[in-house]
Amino acid sequence: MRARDTGASRRLIRWIPAIAAPIAIGVGVVLVPMQANAAVDLPDLTPAELLEFAASSEVEALSGTIEQRSELGIPDLSGLTGTMGGGSTGGSGDLGQGDGDGGGGDAAASATDLDDLISLATGTHTAKVYLDGSNARLQVLDRLAERNVYLSEEGAWIYDSAEKAATHLTVDQAALDALEAEAQAHADEAREQLEAELGAPLPTPEQVLDEALAKLDQTTDVSVGTDGRVAGREVYELVLEPRDAETLIGEITVAIDGDTGVALAASVTARGADEPAFSVEFTDVSFEAPDASVFAFTPPEGTEVSEHVVPIPTAAELEQRKAQAEAESGGETPRPVVHGDGWSAVVELPAAAVGAAGFDGEAAAMLGSLTERVDGGRILSTSLVTVLITDDGRVLAGAVTADRLLDAAATGR
Amino acid sequence: MSSREVHDGPLVLDARGGGGGTLSLLGSELLTLFRRRRTWALLGALALIPILIAVAVRLSGGPPTGRGPAFLDQITNNGFFVGVTAILVAIPLFLPLTIGVVAGDAIAGEASHGTLRYLLIAPAGRIRLLLVKYLAAAVFCVAAPLTVVVVGTLIGWALFPIGPVTLLSGATVGIGDALLRLLAIAAYVTVSLLGMSAIGLFLSTLTTVPVGAMAATAILAVVSQIMDALPQLEWLHPWLFTHYWLGFGDLMREPVVWDSFADNAVLQAGYLVVFGALAVSRFLTKDVLS
Amino acid sequence: MPDLAIETHGLTKRFRSQVAVDGLDLAVPEGSVFGFLGPNGSGKTTTIRMLLGLVAATAGDARVLGADMPHHVDSVLPRVGALVEGPAFSPYLSGEANLRRFDAADRHAPRGTRSDRVALALERVGLSHAAKKKVGAYSLGMKQRLGLANALLMRRELLVLDEPTNGLDPQGTREVRSLIRSLAEGGTTVFVSSHLLAEVEQVCTHAAVMSVGRLVAHGTIDELRGRGSRVLVRTPDPGRARAVLAALGLPIEQTTVGGIRSATDASDDELVTARLGGEIERHSADGTSADGSSTDHGSADGGSADGGSATAAPESIVTALVNAGVRVRGFEIERASLEQRFVDLTGEGFDVVA
Repeated sequence: MRARDTGASRRLIRWIPAIAAPIAIGVGVVLVPMQANAAVDLPDLTPAELLEFAASSEVEALSGTIEQRSELGIPDLSGLTGTMGGGSTGGSGDLGQGDGDGGGGDAAASATDLDDLISLATGTHTAKVYLDGSNARLQVLDRLAERNVYLSEEGAWIYDSAEKAATHLTVDQAALDALEAEAQAHADEAREQLEAELGAPLPTPEQVLDEALAKLDQTTDVSVGTDGRVAGREVYELVLEPRDAETLIGEITVAIDGDTGVALAASVTARGADEPAFSVEFTDVSFEAPDASVFAFTPPEGTEVSEHVVPIPTAAELEQRKAQAEAESGGETPRPVVHGDGWSAVVELPAAAVGAAGFDGEAAAMLGSLTERVDGGRILSTSLVTVLITDDGRVLAGAVTADRLLDAAATGR
Repeated sequence: MSSREVHDGPLVLDARGGGGGTLSLLGSELLTLFRRRRTWALLGALALIPILIAVAVRLSGGPPTGRGPAFLDQITNNGFFVGVTAILVAIPLFLPLTIGVVAGDAIAGEASHGTLRYLLIAPAGRIRLLLVKYLAAAVFCVAAPLTVVVVGTLIGWALFPIGPVTLLSGATVGIGDALLRLLAIAAYVTVSLLGMSAIGLFLSTLTTVPVGAMAATAILAVVSQIMDALPQLEWLHPWLFTHYWLGFGDLMREPVVWDSFADNAVLQAGYLVVFGALAVSRFLTKDVLS
Repeated sequence: MPDLAIETHGLTKRFRSQVAVDGLDLAVPEGSVFGFLGPNGSGKTTTIRMLLGLVAATAGDARVLGADMPHHVDSVLPRVGALVEGPAFSPYLSGEANLRRFDAADRHAPRGTRSDRVALALERVGLSHAAKKKVGAYSLGMKQRLGLANALLMRRELLVLDEPTNGLDPQGTREVRSLIRSLAEGGTTVFVSSHLLAEVEQVCTHAAVMSVGRLVAHGTIDELRGRGSRVLVRTPDPGRARAVLAALGLPIEQTTVGGIRSATDASDDELVTARLGGEIERHSADGTSADGSSTDHGSADGGSADGGSATAAPESIVTALVNAGVRVRGFEIERASLEQRFVDLTGEGFDVVA
């Protein structure tokens, strides 16, 4: 009789592919990112050098994919309310990249706005960014819909495919130039005045940076973390850690491209958490100028187009507005009060500032489901920020615990 | 059964050389699949979706506002969107159902007819048979969305004006470009269904009751989509085979975003490898008793 | 010794706790027509499935056409045609399309001659007229014929036919029998499993009998029949005859009062029967007899008993009887029918399902 492997062992051998395939995939899923992160070693930089390197970045053109992720610990209601993220067509006329003030005070908080906010604060969003020096485009990729912001020298287009609405923003170039010239004059004037006061010339940018870092150092531990990889590129990691134990924020990291100095990722992690509560990062980036056709936009047929000319006030008008605002603040509209300082500062909006605007029914219901009842008001707590709406209508907010807010509401400190 | 002709004729021809390879078996399998009335019934049911949509929109007159699947309100302006809307409607249930029937029937159907044993002693070879069955299911995965898209375009063309198409990004492209994108969408959906076909094939090797494998496959697709909608399971979402099913919208952007196509392809390939391996292992160790 | 077309050693199949086939040692010589007998549920089909690589053996091994199964399924099966547990076809395809499909599954079957081979196979089983009809509309007998056609698509070295005449009318049964004979003449080994003994007995050169998963008999048809042979002595002196036969070591079976066999016999004759026990080797060229049970007259057919304690040749038995003064009026060696043997071996009737 010849030796013969038993049926059982042969059966076992035939199950090897079924066992091996998932293992191979699992190992691949774990190993590939590890491999990608391994062996990144950029020349060492101090935090100050890194900031300077980032500030001197001269990248004007890029295209890439951004992924924004939020795990703020708020229940995701977007699916329940049924609205697919309306439009971010706020009335903000700010053409710069930086987000100025958070929304004009004229609009009452509607359910859609709230929904938008929540949808931004939960889940994952993907967008494409295109820059070529004079044009910019942000393309927010929603499921079977899209929101676009096109910026160019002639103005801005905001297009929302779900609403089929386009908004065209233009500025009066002459007025803008005049304002810039005037602002420049004002700035020069102010500097002269300042230098006179200080009795010395204004510090160089490096000096400013050093000074700012020194000041920052009082509240925050600034360091350069381990080099890593973002969107396949080697990056430095700038880590900001609040020294203040009262804040909810554990650390903020910014990934800076080791080659170009462009910030490729940023994340905020709550104290004690492992995963960032909020993060934005490039998943894919290229520093080549995108094709010009990417920036071209003509509103398609059947789209509602609203034209807005952003009024550019003259310097005198600005002064006037400022004076008016100050006068008003002395009267009916109380200004926000800040309790404490640094990371654990609490902002308090007095009752009148929000009370009148109010919420419509749906928004109120949504707020009700998001907040929880506490003694003296309702609390909305997320992993990074806590908001307290007191029964007397005041709103307190800060990157602190609910107890700190209640304390501030009670003591006014 | 005359005994006269026993040692004669073509039987004596040498059996080696010129034999039909796997392609020959695949051809025979496809012929069998598309000779079945059931296959045509499935495709017919899929073709009915765009027809119903187009006729309903046509009869109701004006563009519907608000509710309804995306693109529905664009049909009256442009018949091109009949195909897109129909694909969107068919993806969650109808397409998985038809693929479930074809993939779930692959082995279990042969087993229930008893033809599995005759294929195996032909001998078809177990791995070869499994491969051919999967390829046939894949061909059906091509045919099914293509049916929806082609019928949708034809009925849209017949009932509505057809012209330049506005994409999600707001850009407008010519009808030729748009039809190419529609074909790309059909290809996207085909890729989307490949992982599911592998699951169906595996389930089909587990049983001799084809209806069981078919139902289980279709139910898995529905369950996967439900899980994909639960925010509590967000960590799981990128691993669900239905996760990118609606991502074909990326082909309606300008410039075309291929990310979800690539992600989807990788995911489906993963499912194909895992469930293909499971199916192979199971089928190699299976005692064919039917 | 001729090469073996099928050879198994200790072949065993266990389903969960139930043993379907238990340590089977089978040897099917090349060129033989091998009858594989056993009541329903005795493990015949499971054995065939193991031989064809459809079912994995729990223990033991099997060789078909000289190669290990199921290791060499791909090289062995193209040379084997088979009908396993009844025919099975896709009902929505025509008979011809079904055959083409199975033929395409065999990667060694040349595509160029497929149409011719399918047409010829259909003709051989008399189905040419129904080639284009959907199998769903076929009768059981037609399906059976189509199943045979499938087994004959290529020139085969071995045909494994499981219940080939199932569902066929008497005419069809006869056709199958003649088909098997002609195939065997062409050098093909035919392995026929059946619970119908007549079928096996008429065409087979060898046979094996299974019962409850075990092989209970195995050999040439004549060997199998021989084991059941009896001596019949017609004599008015039954007592003396019994004594003589007993002295020769032949177990006495019964004594029947004369008249049972023939009314014309003398009334005082009795029939003394004894088992011959051993095998009777026959030298006759008349290998396959025409009908079921045959009775050979010992005088005409010289035979020698071998094996067992009863080693008496017919002529020596007669001599012994005559010497003892028994008035031998009739002497017969009765070769038992295979059917009798079958019932003896399996202890069961035909329709018992274990």
